Amino acid sequence: MNQLALAPQLDRRQFLVTTGVVAGGMALALSPADAASAMAPPPAPWGPDAAQGFEFTPWIEIAADDSVTVRVPNPESGNGTMTQMAMNVAEELGCAWKNIRVEIASIHRNYAENRVYTKGSLPFFGGHGTDKVRMAHTMRLGASARERLKAAAAARWKVPASEITAAESMLSHTASKRSLRYGEVAAEAAKISLLAEPELKPQAEWTLIGKASPAKLSIPAIADGTAVFGIDVKLPGMVHAALKQVPVMGGRLKSFKPDAVKHMPGVRAVIAIDPAKSGKSPVKDETSFGLGNSEAQHAVAVVADHFWQAKMALEMLPVEWDLGSGTHYRDQTDIYEGMRSIRDVGESDEVLKKGDVSTATGKRIVEAEYLSPYGENAVMEPLGGTALVTSDTCEVWCATQDTMQAFWVSVDETGLAPAQVKIHGTAMGGNFGRRTQAEDIRMAVAVARQYPGVPVKTIWTREEMFRQGRYRTPISTKFRAVLDDASGLPQAVSGDLCFAGDRKLFQLTQGYADPPYFNSGAIPHVKLTTINFPVHVLNGAYRGPCFNSNAFITETFIDECAHAAGIDPVEYRLALLAKWEKPWSDVLKLAAEKAGWGQKLPRGEGMGIAITNWPMATIPHFGSTMATVARVAVSKDGVLAVKRIDIAFDCGKVANADAVRAQIEGGTLFGLNMTLNEEVTIRNGAIVEGNYDEYPMLRMGDSLPEIHIHFEALSGHDRFDLMGELPVGPVGPAVGNAIYSATGKRLRATPFRKQDLSWT
Amino acid sequence: MEDDTVETVSFTVNGLPQRVEAYSSTPLLWVLRDHLEMTGTKYGCGIAQCGACTVHVNGEAVRSCQLPLSGLAGADVTTIEGLASHGGATLQRLWAEMNVPQCGYCQAGMLMAAADLLKKTPKPSDPEIDAVMTNICRCGTYPRIRAAIKRAAGVAA
Repeated sequence: MNQLALAPQLDRRQFLVTTGVVAGGMALALSPADAASAMAPPPAPWGPDAAQGFEFTPWIEIAADDSVTVRVPNPESGNGTMTQMAMNVAEELGCAWKNIRVEIASIHRNYAENRVYTKGSLPFFGGHGTDKVRMAHTMRLGASARERLKAAAAARWKVPASEITAAESMLSHTASKRSLRYGEVAAEAAKISLLAEPELKPQAEWTLIGKASPAKLSIPAIADGTAVFGIDVKLPGMVHAALKQVPVMGGRLKSFKPDAVKHMPGVRAVIAIDPAKSGKSPVKDETSFGLGNSEAQHAVAVVADHFWQAKMALEMLPVEWDLGSGTHYRDQTDIYEGMRSIRDVGESDEVLKKGDVSTATGKRIVEAEYLSPYGENAVMEPLGGTALVTSDTCEVWCATQDTMQAFWVSVDETGLAPAQVKIHGTAMGGNFGRRTQAEDIRMAVAVARQYPGVPVKTIWTREEMFRQGRYRTPISTKFRAVLDDASGLPQAVSGDLCFAGDRKLFQLTQGYADPPYFNSGAIPHVKLTTINFPVHVLNGAYRGPCFNSNAFITETFIDECAHAAGIDPVEYRLALLAKWEKPWSDVLKLAAEKAGWGQKLPRGEGMGIAITNWPMATIPHFGSTMATVARVAVSKDGVLAVKRIDIAFDCGKVANADAVRAQIEGGTLFGLNMTLNEEVTIRNGAIVEGNYDEYPMLRMGDSLPEIHIHFEALSGHDRFDLMGELPVGPVGPAVGNAIYSATGKRLRATPFRKQDLSWT
Repeated sequence: MEDDTVETVSFTVNGLPQRVEAYSSTPLLWVLRDHLEMTGTKYGCGIAQCGACTVHVNGEAVRSCQLPLSGLAGADVTTIEGLASHGGATLQRLWAEMNVPQCGYCQAGMLMAAADLLKKTPKPSDPEIDAVMTNICRCGTYPRIRAAIKRAAGVAA
């Protein structure tokens, strides 16, 4: 157990190189090309533990060969956030794009070096990568480095810095026809302090942002297999752990028999995790959202030389659980019934009130209830992490959406001082909210604490992933509208919403209480409430938390109102948006026009539309707004084909058009899968689905729709707003509304695959 | 699994001979990742659903999570680390040029599946792509994967 007591003293980046060389030693006498491709050590995706080389700030290092390393505290999750940060830096730095590389900043430097990665920036998540705060901050860092390079060249040439130009990684003095590469003066420039920081150049002079669409810098390593995801970390002497948490949330470990498996090949230890034994941070944490949703679960783990050995031994390990009170839920419908019941009789919180709904007098009433179920993020890379814990250090290598959260969870679990803890972020195989709270990292640290001095890599199996999720919060909503006899628009709307789950952080009203229909005065009387149904199943962040459900519910309900009024759904929404900012109407009209809205379609085919905003529709010129039109065909026996999707949107401006396009494509398919396929079910309190065979995912052969993305409704308002969550919202209701147009069947719950779509 | 034995098996990976001693049941996936430290091949589901672990064995794309060590004797295995020198360089270049991956975790398997498709069907139709590209991508990169395969094949998008 102590054969690697020396490990903490070594440099982790060196470790990777070392293991690569060792592995290369096995290459024998074979083709050098093959040997190189097979055995080249992967570059570490994380930054150094302290300043190194010619570091201008902990964010920027420029090497003698002109390469520029941008260290970003927000790890890449696939939306291009690190590439965008590099674009922001490069825009002002004036370096050639080919010289740019990115690393995940080592967030422990933030603690050791006066909050260098959080001052002026937001350290969490990727989706906000283009927001104003981060954009300005990273551009300032680039501008400052550029001026320091100029100052260094000016000192060499003994000319005023103002006469020097900087572009494409070259410094030039036109009058004397001299030039220098950035790398040639980086050493001197890194030591220079400016008396005053430069102004940022006006947007009209930008050459990268909004002009170029570079592909993500992460891709070459992904395409040749050298990218280091959390699960790929290699350390000398590393061992592997397989984990099983109590099958019903809220339960406890009763007993287990380690002796039954200790003799199995490779097995080193059998461990029980008791949340009561978690440490406690000795100082107040500096997380964005607190540590309250990161608690450990009762669990057993087997540590072995190889993961397969650990997994096999864990399967053989006799374990008895006290499953707790969650078992009284026979299936998920017990929970849904409980939600309905408490929603209709419980003491709700009023979240929006306009006028007095009791005064509405129209004769037409539209009343319906809607349900969105549990869902699993189903990220492709399993959760877990590698941790090396000693009596006075903790070092963690992990995929996380929020490096600060991972850092403080590790501090909290070990009880060590922050200065004793290090976090190395890796590439991340999807997040969609699942890697925000870092409870998987807490579990990895909890395992490694009990096997100290040796790096332990904990990997969740896919079954563990499905059955130990932090699920999409189920929502049950009843809406009631009184339509105005003359206009057909609602005079009054009442809504009662029930969340299931105890985690308030993931009980959001976006898409429910914030649409302009209810806030712009278009509907004079509005009363919306929320309530919570407490349940043992843990709810969590799932791409656009709760918004993804509320968007479906609200946009289906509005569609029902339009049809009840006998008014075209596009015209109806335009009327309801008449008192709101024009970009919403522009987005709606463009999507409808491009889709060929209004054309005559045969029975069994139809179009539907929906419009939503994330993250806050009540504020004008804020967030991103998107309208999605779906065209579907439904056969008489109920087989659905979503044939075409048209999307228009407004996020102000776009920084990287192809990055935005990729997010819209992917987010739309994510939302489509959520709507058509996804529901996690429950039996006796435990999650039923364990793998993708029980939780279908759209694949290329599933007749995916053509997706047409239209940029012409961009308002040009001065913001570069987010696009990660939004596309998940409108696609589901658009498809549901299209199914209604095609068949007359109104779908008020998801997933659609579990409903009968046949018609006659 | 009590009667699972430890055995030593020889095979080649990307042209290099390898000898691995492990449980007979150890899937090729974990042989590659844990024993040979070649982590480009990914674990996603362990039940041949997602395809993240796709490699070529004796010239055929297979889900490596389903192939036990005991069945590997003499096999010729190609992984993502060896794809560039086994006919995949064009696909890999297009993957970057066309900004195909998002998180990237499934993409090694996608590339291995796509390379096998193009080797056997140099000009694939959409149904031929659909039939072979059965891997799961949670990020929704399918439209770009299709476009990149078609461009690599020189067929109309």
